Amino acid sequence: MALPELLPILVIALYFLGTVLFVVGSALRNEFLKNTALGLATLGFALHTLDLAQFLTGAEAAQNLTAGRFLFCLLGWGILSIFLLLWWRLGLKFLAVVAMPLALVLYVTANATVGVNTKLPPMLSGLFFFLHIGTLFSSMALLAMAFGAGLAFLHLEKRIKAKAGLKQFQKDMPSLDTFDRVNHFAALCGFPLYTLGLASGYVWAWLSARRVFSLDPKEVMALLVLVLYAYLFHQRLTMGWRGRKPAVMAICVFLLTVISMLGINFLVPTTFHGFKP
Amino acid sequence: MDKMIFLVGLNHRCAGVDVREKFALTNVADFEKSLLAACPLREVMALSTCNRVEILVVADVDRCAGIDLPEAVLRHWAETCAGPLSTLREHTYRHTSLDAVTHLFCVAASLDSMVMGEPQILGQLKTSYRKAVETGTARVIINRLLHKSFSVAKRVRTETAIASSAVSISYAAVELAKKIFGELSGKTAMLVGAGEMAELAATHLLASGIEKLYITNRTFSRAQELAKTMHGEAILFEGMVDQLRDVDIVISSTGSPTAIIRARDIREVLKKRRNRAMFFIDIAVPRDIDPDVNALDNVYLYDIDDLKEVVEENMSARQGEAVKARAIVEVETQAFATWLKSLALQPTITDLLGRAEDVANRELAKTLKRLGEVDDQTRQALEVLVASVSRKLLHEPICFLKRRTREEGTAERFIDMTRRIFNLDADAVIDDAHLDRRTVDDEALDCECCRDDDALLTRAALKDQPAPPGLTNQTSQPNQTGQPDQTGQK
Repeated sequence: MALPELLPILVIALYFLGTVLFVVGSALRNEFLKNTALGLATLGFALHTLDLAQFLTGAEAAQNLTAGRFLFCLLGWGILSIFLLLWWRLGLKFLAVVAMPLALVLYVTANATVGVNTKLPPMLSGLFFFLHIGTLFSSMALLAMAFGAGLAFLHLEKRIKAKAGLKQFQKDMPSLDTFDRVNHFAALCGFPLYTLGLASGYVWAWLSARRVFSLDPKEVMALLVLVLYAYLFHQRLTMGWRGRKPAVMAICVFLLTVISMLGINFLVPTTFHGFKP
Repeated sequence: MDKMIFLVGLNHRCAGVDVREKFALTNVADFEKSLLAACPLREVMALSTCNRVEILVVADVDRCAGIDLPEAVLRHWAETCAGPLSTLREHTYRHTSLDAVTHLFCVAASLDSMVMGEPQILGQLKTSYRKAVETGTARVIINRLLHKSFSVAKRVRTETAIASSAVSISYAAVELAKKIFGELSGKTAMLVGAGEMAELAATHLLASGIEKLYITNRTFSRAQELAKTMHGEAILFEGMVDQLRDVDIVISSTGSPTAIIRARDIREVLKKRRNRAMFFIDIAVPRDIDPDVNALDNVYLYDIDDLKEVVEENMSARQGEAVKARAIVEVETQAFATWLKSLALQPTITDLLGRAEDVANRELAKTLKRLGEVDDQTRQALEVLVASVSRKLLHEPICFLKRRTREEGTAERFIDMTRRIFNLDADAVIDDAHLDRRTVDDEALDCECCRDDDALLTRAALKDQPAPPGLTNQTSQPNQTGQPDQTGQK
């Protein structure tokens, strides 16, 4: 088999092994296993990047941009790159528990949707693509990390508040403050990206179809997410929210984005946002 | 000559503090030597700490037939401490042979300590052992036993979580703070009121990197005094709530009958500090801090009972780990028993010959493989050759050992030495063992003799000359005939 055919299998295998090893390593408190898992995931990430590059440099690059496979692939890649960034900057190894399975699921989904092209919009150009999809996917990746960190925060905070004592597993977790910093990062960077992504979508809709809002279920959801995200951004940055409330908020916003992304794609007929199989 | 190991001792469980005080050997000089002089023993080591006294003794079985040795040791101990023998008899335990080994391993691994898993006991044991080595009362068996007990302690510490959780209140507070804030560097703490436990907690916090410590007290001079010793900053009691906006960790221990920090004050403080997390530790009884404070977001309040509960939970977690640790001790005791049995002439000779035969067979197999097809005669000749070389080489050492065993009291020293030289017990050698006694700079320990000689042989065959003497350094040089360089003499 040539490398291009082998690549997805390799990436899936690496992500899968990485995920399993990391979970086992966490359960056994074995640093070596965890580091091996992260090494595997990083290798998978490199191959994943290669895979994406292949898409973009191929002869059908322009067409590929709207292929379902590419989009899922890109989302998975975005989540992992944000995780690697957080790991590097904040030393948050722990979030691999969220990032690795998500990247795996998205990559597998991507490969399940091979051959499906959306009937989208001729008006898609490179610039639009990065303004709309690149920004939205990065903010979703940030939200995914905030989601994981938020769940961990709530769990740990509950134990500390209730004075229930910490089990070994909880002792190995990072501190509350670290989780809160992830949330801060996601709000600070994610919200502007999300706004930019949405705004560019509306501008393009107006330019191409002379209509801004088409009552597409996805657009409605996206607006709702935007409002909640804006609230989180505002409370966090100007009102000095910290800890539990923004964590809950980030979890809600992430779940809503997942619904708007996957639920609507697969379940509700939508005008032109669906890239379902 | 059979050896008997036994151990008499007392600890915090079987003897009260008055008894432990009375019979402590901490200030007795040369107890081991005097005990050796008083009783027919071979080796002695005594350990004495505030919670226990352990006397480990090795004796020859046939030399002390008919004497109740533990009783004799107790009598000497009682005389040394000028205390009544009956009290000592009542409060001590006696362990013989493998029970004594198990007990010593448990002591070393801190399974028998009052606070299970505390690390001091190992250090105390090491000091006692060093003293016994210096006075010459520790020999082969105690050496081996103590070395084993140190490695058991290390295994227990690394393989179980017995020493991993906080079991003191002030330490538990620091652990919690770390769970809330992550690194404590750059954080500030405030001591409200002074008390021994509060000071202890503050010391722990400072040790883990707290940047600034404020100290406040109703009497300002006391606060200033404390600020000087702890390198903190004294502030007025009235200004305490205002100062809280810069403080992350508050330790309170005043004698106030009512709460001095109330939830509504803290709500204001939180607004000012933009909800940065706060951790309150209330060690005072009655409590200084309104329990409602804990209901506020980003504020965590622990009072003395909460901390006690954390500590107790950690203690019970240690109990669970102790089961694992005891299994390790059990395994190591069995290993020690095996070694003890092998410390006789016959098993050692058997092991030596076995080892030699092993090496010979391995090398023979290699050579046969290299030679390819050989006829039976050659093969037999080779077999005889390796077997006789290895046996002849061991002939002298074995005769030497046999001669030594006829002498009084030296046998096991030489047997042990032999076992160690030939590594008959397959012990792992630690890199940094006896680091303090090494004189030469680190030289590569692996020598040429254990290197695979395939390369040498092939090179020799190519040059069509006899194989170089593989044990000298010259083999690596091009001129390797073993003769001095001719060119230099011209």
